[in-house]
Amino acid sequence: MSDTSLRGKVAVIGIGLSAVGKVPGRSPLSLAAEAARNALADAGLQQSEVDGVLSSHAFASPFHRFSVAFSEYFGIRPTFSNTLQVSGATAATMFSVGAAAIHGGLAKVVLVVAADSLMTGLTPDLALRSLTESRDQQYEMPFGVPVANTFAMTAHRHMKEFGTTPEQLAEVAVVHRRHAARTRGAQQTTPITTADVLNSPMVTTPYRKLDCSLISDGGAAFVLTSAEHAQALGIEKPVYILGCGECYTHEHIFLMPSLTTTGAVESSQRAYAMAGYRPTDMNVAGIYDCFTGTVIMMLEDLGFCRKGEGGPFVADGQMSYGGRIPSNTHGGLLSFAHSGMPGSLFHFHEVIAQLRGQCGERQVEGAYLGLVHSLGAGFATNATTILGTRGAL
Amino acid sequence: MTVSEDSTRKPLPAPDADTAAFWRGLQHGKLLLQHCRQCHHVQYYQQATCRECGSDELEHRPATGRGKVHSFSVVHRAPGPAFKADVPYAVLLVELAEGPRMISTLIGSDPKDVTFDMDVELAFDQVSDHITLPRFRKA
Repeated sequence: MSDTSLRGKVAVIGIGLSAVGKVPGRSPLSLAAEAARNALADAGLQQSEVDGVLSSHAFASPFHRFSVAFSEYFGIRPTFSNTLQVSGATAATMFSVGAAAIHGGLAKVVLVVAADSLMTGLTPDLALRSLTESRDQQYEMPFGVPVANTFAMTAHRHMKEFGTTPEQLAEVAVVHRRHAARTRGAQQTTPITTADVLNSPMVTTPYRKLDCSLISDGGAAFVLTSAEHAQALGIEKPVYILGCGECYTHEHIFLMPSLTTTGAVESSQRAYAMAGYRPTDMNVAGIYDCFTGTVIMMLEDLGFCRKGEGGPFVADGQMSYGGRIPSNTHGGLLSFAHSGMPGSLFHFHEVIAQLRGQCGERQVEGAYLGLVHSLGAGFATNATTILGTRGAL
Repeated sequence: MTVSEDSTRKPLPAPDADTAAFWRGLQHGKLLLQHCRQCHHVQYYQQATCRECGSDELEHRPATGRGKVHSFSVVHRAPGPAFKADVPYAVLLVELAEGPRMISTLIGSDPKDVTFDMDVELAFDQVSDHITLPRFRKA
């Protein structure tokens, strides 16, 4: 690895969540501040020690510069800040940009923080906007294309090309619900069966209601600093950023090069190369699960199984405990919570907690290497992060 | 960002510098594709330069209107009040005979009858004084 590689240079030293799920009467900024306080307390730092802030946009907030508004609200004056926007992949890019800023000397302690109130905080017009977000005003919106539709068309084509079945899609939802049942604060914990998914109302074929992720309130925050500073602070269980990769293949779904093989192939290969590990080395994963079919395609593109085999892989129990790659052990966007752009931060929170051995009955025994994959806008944006303990350095 | 002023009305495209000729063509019964004179790339999404080679020597030619359904999704839950009366409707990802793909919707037959790789042909749907949308019917 060259001197400029980010591998192992930056550690996550604090993690925190706000109240998550249905949280009425709270603004996105207030949720963000709660998550940030929890993350700083976890790290044992004062808020005055934060000199960098990275955030993503919140639909239920009027602020275009969320990171700047957050800093004012939180009472800090950072010297590095930005509000990033690559849809669902923003979560992972906050980690890579934060790590690069620390490694490049732009900041010493970066707070990654995002929150939104999609469930209780949106006016009807804002709710509509969030539904059609990222759809083209001239080429897509006039035809009544919901945000779910682009993802649905990729899954549909996957079924046609590889024989993926509605039952296999449903199994993804069932596994997530089973995981969420063991997660304190998860939004949906009532067990479901494959039949429940297949009998839920159709939204946009092939996706039924239970194939779709939740709409939630909530946020998460993380404290990042250099590996040296983490050591100087005496952080007991730093989790290191070992690899990062991104890939942007298109903006419009009709310009997506292939509906069934995504930019996650390249983003993950870049992350694996930086980390010096392979898919089979990973102990735990957080995989963006906006829809059930998304997970099946990502298990393939991230290298956990071969192209076209994601459906049988899931049906065979390989994405849960005892399988090849226990994934979304908190319940994911499908059952834990999905508050928009912060949604993927919950995957980071879970994977980091797993690597710190703090997941109680959800703990994947001995986990020391994990992967988080964030994506958005009909697979337009893909970003992969590989994280590991001191033992993985 | 714009917020819809009346969520019960369907959004209409607002032509811009890149798309004015394209939308004018549709009013005259032509779906105009951009053909690159340098590298012969054909593109549906209208822009000032060729996405393959960067040349600005683009020529508008009407599409034959023939295509195949590369993928589709039948919408049962409308994205807002404006589309509620239309459900279920089939959103199509059509691969045109010339190569490019585009998003549209099926008209003239039951959305249940859509299949992968089904042959479709272009149909012009005038939705306002200034806008005609390119839709598709079963060939």
